Amino acid sequence: MFLIAELVVLLTTNLILSQALGTSTLFIAAGSRKNLLWIAITITVFTTVGSAATYFIELLLPDQYNDFRLLLYTAAVGILYVLLLTVLYFADRAGFGTTRKYVHLSAFNCAVMGTLFSVSDRLSLHPTLNTMGSFMIAGAEAGTGFILAAFILTAAYRRLNSVSVPASFRGFPAMLVYLGIISMAVYALT
Amino acid sequence: MQKKIRSQRFICLDIFLTLLTLSIMEYFYYGLRAVVLGCVCVAVSVAAELISLRLMKRKFTADDLTCVTDALIFALMLPAVFDMKIAAIACIFAVTAAKNLFGGRRNMMFSPAAAAYVFVLASWKNSVLMFTEPHVHTGVFEKAENLVSSVSHSFNVTGRMSVSDFELLMGNVPGAAGATSILLLAVAAAVLIFRRDISAGAFVGTITGTALLACFVPMGSSIGMSVKYTLSTNMVLFAAVYIVSDKRIAPKKNYYAFFYGLFVAVFSYILVLTTAKENAVIIASVIFTPVALGLRNLENRIETLRADEALKAAGSDDIPADQAEEAVADE
Amino acid sequence: MSKKNSVFDGLLGDNTVLSSLMVISPIIVCGDTVMNGIALVYAFSVITFLSVLIGSFVPKKLPYAVKIIIYALISSAVFIPTKMAAEEFFPDIIPRIGVYFMLVAVNSLITVRAEAFFYRMKRGRMIISLFFYILGFDVVMLTISLIREILAYSTVCGRVMDADILISGMAMPFGGFIILGVMCGIYRKFLSVFGSDDTRGDGGDENVSDS
Repeated sequence: MFLIAELVVLLTTNLILSQALGTSTLFIAAGSRKNLLWIAITITVFTTVGSAATYFIELLLPDQYNDFRLLLYTAAVGILYVLLLTVLYFADRAGFGTTRKYVHLSAFNCAVMGTLFSVSDRLSLHPTLNTMGSFMIAGAEAGTGFILAAFILTAAYRRLNSVSVPASFRGFPAMLVYLGIISMAVYALT
Repeated sequence: MQKKIRSQRFICLDIFLTLLTLSIMEYFYYGLRAVVLGCVCVAVSVAAELISLRLMKRKFTADDLTCVTDALIFALMLPAVFDMKIAAIACIFAVTAAKNLFGGRRNMMFSPAAAAYVFVLASWKNSVLMFTEPHVHTGVFEKAENLVSSVSHSFNVTGRMSVSDFELLMGNVPGAAGATSILLLAVAAAVLIFRRDISAGAFVGTITGTALLACFVPMGSSIGMSVKYTLSTNMVLFAAVYIVSDKRIAPKKNYYAFFYGLFVAVFSYILVLTTAKENAVIIASVIFTPVALGLRNLENRIETLRADEALKAAGSDDIPADQAEEAVADE
Repeated sequence: MSKKNSVFDGLLGDNTVLSSLMVISPIIVCGDTVMNGIALVYAFSVITFLSVLIGSFVPKKLPYAVKIIIYALISSAVFIPTKMAAEEFFPDIIPRIGVYFMLVAVNSLITVRAEAFFYRMKRGRMIISLFFYILGFDVVMLTISLIREILAYSTVCGRVMDADILISGMAMPFGGFIILGVMCGIYRKFLSVFGSDDTRGDGGDENVSDS
């Protein structure tokens, strides 16, 4: 019961199905299972750790400098980007050529930046939820939502690229309509 | 191959006949308006199918008449007094966006009727969930008056049923015109399962899932009531027969189809229980499409592995004809 | 791409949105009225043009990751005066677009396509090409906004039209997904009919990010 309730929450607050954030990244990720797994994991790392960074930015940034949020968030993601590349480089030099592309694809996209903004907008309004832990959990949830959406697309990937699909709609257009219909069902839940 | 095509046409015909009986019942309760609504849906769907197949440079064959059954399924889920223009738009959406855009009957992704219903639910929620009382015959072009919410709605909200079991069985209650006749639906389910026109696994999975949850987490005051009413409201039986068990969507093997039906049932039951969402099973069937597709992918992979093993064992390069056909149909 | 690139490709042959599926989130979520569309067109055009132009002065020898971070920081800095100006021109619209206004600033035309494509050109050619890529986004954004506004609200730029039925779902993100998907298909058909076939069956450009 709890799991189903969580699934409903994950669907209705899903950053792709409800906000279309990171849709192109998802299309790339769904192309191969290996890409999917690594990009989804990397995006989850970015959204989780990035959310912790946004907590501190929100804490320290005076209200009159609100327009600087984007600049500071970008700087935080940039630092995380370099850190992640450094860690991957020292952890596995041989495989760095492959793993770095996942980091490049996952750093600056709507999935990550949109999550940071929506998490901070949502949680900073609630005094009880305005903690670093809550920010990180919300970031991790958003990453999990991305993984869920990626699996939704992967299940249909071969059919959406099948020769039966009219050539003009094969691939991206069919994927968009497919996600649209799933998103419509999720909207009907709310 | 010929045999397979013929069997698919018989499936379509069988389903059409059961839907026709439901439409006759609908006429009895709601008059000509309900029948005209069904005819509009069928006419628009056939026209949309013809045009979209023409655009796809494909010929319209007898197999493409599945659009008629899809249109009837959709019409039976609507209130008899539903706006015909909206129904027509939804039928166009179902045939073009939810079906032919993905390649039509050769590459089915969603149940067109379920997609059309969710489309209507997402855009015209208030119109699609308000009904006239049975035996109130509204003229074809008349504006409906004294609309009421469905019996499912009152059960979801209060956990009690205000109508007798006999009325519920006969469908003499406010609700979607074709989806409330429980007795007819039970007969249709038996006939279609007996003739292997629908996925028995998915049907049993849906019914079992709903019944089990109704026992463990009852919605009514007693377990018996809960099982009885959860199966007969919220279009559960109708969806179990015509949407979840649709052979074009559900996994081929009964074992996998059972779990697909079970997932849909569990998800929709909890949704009804926690949010009182009316007809959640239809929404769940669309959301769980990726699960059905994933299970079909799994089946294909297992079949391919088995075929490879059989080939290795036989030392032959030929793929068995029936497996090759199945793989082509699914690809 | 084997064929020779033209500076006009961004408008039709390699449209930012319909071909590469870049910057689609704002279109799907916020492109439900022409006024929203105009606001996003303004934000995207100004931020992208200035950011790519300023970014072209970043030394080429820097490591890839560092350059991407610098491009993102430049566009985030350009966002600040752009937003201030937008508050003057579109005071009512900015709150509706909300977070997507900021997300336009880290779009993949700036963070990915600029490095892989624009900065390999001479500056004059780059500016013309960039102009057409931006124009490609603007045209699609306004067309989709117009279609969705008519279908969902039966208005054009807020002026009421006489329509019987409103498809309110078309203003929702799912409506955006579906309309954009259909437009993508029509665009590909158009390209295949008029020569430049773009009916790719794969997931598309590996370098595509999203904004």
